[in-house]
Amino acid sequence: MNKFFGWFAITLLIFSCKKDNTRYFPTPYFLQIPSHFPDMMIPADNPMTVEGVELGRFLFYEKRLSGDNTQSCASCHLPSASFSDPNQFSTGIDGIQGTRHSMAIINIGWEDFFFWDGRETTLESQILEPVANPIEMHQSWKQTVEKLNADVTYRNRFFKAFGEEGIDSTKATKAIAQFVRTLISGESKFDVMYKYENNMNLTSDEQAIFQSVDAEEWAGYDLFKSLNGADCFHCHNGPLMRVKKFSNNGLIPHATDDKGRATVTNNPEDNYKFKVPTLRNIALTAPYMHDGRFTTLDEVIEHYSSGIHMSPTIDPLIEFGSQGGVQLDAQEKYLLKKFLLTLTDQRFITNPNFQDPN
Amino acid sequence: MRLYVFVAILSLMCFISCKKKNHVEDNKNYLEIDLLALYGGNGNEELKLDSVYISPEGYKIKFTDIKCFFTMLGNGNNILTEAAYYDLREKGAKVLSIEGDYSKFSSLQGIIGVDSALNHNDPAEFPNGSPLNISNAGTMHWGWNTGYIFFNIEGKADTLDDGVNNFNHNFSFHIGKDQYARPLNLQNLTWSPSGAKTHVVKWKLDMYKFLHGLSPVDLKTEFLTHTASGQQVLTEKITTNFSQSISPF
Repeated sequence: MNKFFGWFAITLLIFSCKKDNTRYFPTPYFLQIPSHFPDMMIPADNPMTVEGVELGRFLFYEKRLSGDNTQSCASCHLPSASFSDPNQFSTGIDGIQGTRHSMAIINIGWEDFFFWDGRETTLESQILEPVANPIEMHQSWKQTVEKLNADVTYRNRFFKAFGEEGIDSTKATKAIAQFVRTLISGESKFDVMYKYENNMNLTSDEQAIFQSVDAEEWAGYDLFKSLNGADCFHCHNGPLMRVKKFSNNGLIPHATDDKGRATVTNNPEDNYKFKVPTLRNIALTAPYMHDGRFTTLDEVIEHYSSGIHMSPTIDPLIEFGSQGGVQLDAQEKYLLKKFLLTLTDQRFITNPNFQDPN
Repeated sequence: MRLYVFVAILSLMCFISCKKKNHVEDNKNYLEIDLLALYGGNGNEELKLDSVYISPEGYKIKFTDIKCFFTMLGNGNNILTEAAYYDLREKGAKVLSIEGDYSKFSSLQGIIGVDSALNHNDPAEFPNGSPLNISNAGTMHWGWNTGYIFFNIEGKADTLDDGVNNFNHNFSFHIGKDQYARPLNLQNLTWSPSGAKTHVVKWKLDMYKFLHGLSPVDLKTEFLTHTASGQQVLTEKITTNFSQSISPF
């Protein structure tokens, strides 16, 4: 009996501080942040790793995340469309359409709130939603994890990404978030214009791009910033080409009467306010607005020029709303569009690291 | 018996060997600056965004945003902070919370706005915690080398005396550019203890005085400036009124 206690005690001592048998230490991943961008805040509980980003990329394109194995994240966030959906509304696996346009995934690592109404405040929690959503991928996370667990390559990828065995929804969303944080766009012609305007040094490559900016594009940029011109900069400025806010930009409510931010806050002061999106790659992310009502940039420009609908919660920065908009003439509309096209970053949509790994 | 003692000691070692460290005691002192937005004829009613007030001209008005930078805050050689940021909607009254000794700051000097030495720096280069970092400044940076919006007041007014609430007349004052930075000089500040290690000083921002100061602002006709050319007169008036509306509470 005494021997038993003795061995018991020794065993207890040995196992009390025992580490897991099998561990893997993922490789830190260093984001390539453009020099004129702020730092990206990475959540402490989801550090970027090479293995995590790779896993996230596989999961982003993984159709087994949907109930009938037909849809992945990329089905509604196409790389060719700057990770948005060219359709007005995305259609889920059961043929049901949503009521809002899929937002473009560009520089999303700098965002503090997600979806058009900002109902999620972390990227990881945002990613959790579409899989289980009955009008989107319509599959419980339990089923999703079972499918992934049945695949030895995923078991290995999860092990390498998180340094331990096991698959769950938290790890899956963390990995996708890691991949999505790498989707950084900062190499458009506009970036060179922005750096020049802010007295920042240009590389030799950027010098060459700078020389290619024509007078019409500069004139369009001036209009974009001009208070008496297009007056766009109040909501779309800085290197990320957006401000962090919700805004009612003077759209006439549709039949669905989507009240936007107010559906989250229940505050009538937030009626018809939606998240201000980035204008980066705007030429690639049609259709436009939260409900995809405009199919072309010309329609968008016309809205701000003459189509503003006044309402109690309209953004005070829509300063010419009472006269219908900023009243651009044909030449000004042309120049403004020329500038908007400088926001296209072809390297972003063709980056091989962002494409389907399969 | 000796074996039981041995087992007990070993078991105790098991628990102690994995014990986490005790928390480190914080011996630092902290300072907090609150800016209380007020309204009302005698300037003592707390101002709430989106609530209806009456302007000096009798219009119904709502403020929807009040934001402001303060930079180079300190007292003589004692530097308190390079930059602080007030955003009534997002942060409430708090302008600053920082480690410091209140006895050094019975007075505070600084700038309402952004000092010219900081105003034209790359906004992405400021430390992540700085309110001047573009991630934090957000709407308060113009996006080009004009620099920051020093203060921003936005709202809506009902300027029609027709008995119908129709707040369709926006007002928007965005003040920037170096020449409109104004000195801040608050004397005889009273720091009050708040908890064991924090002292708080309260300033007030009297928005009634802002509209009804030495140079009254008529929101029906004077409702927009972005510090652009051609807007100097109203910009100067707004800047002067705003700086005069800030005082110790």
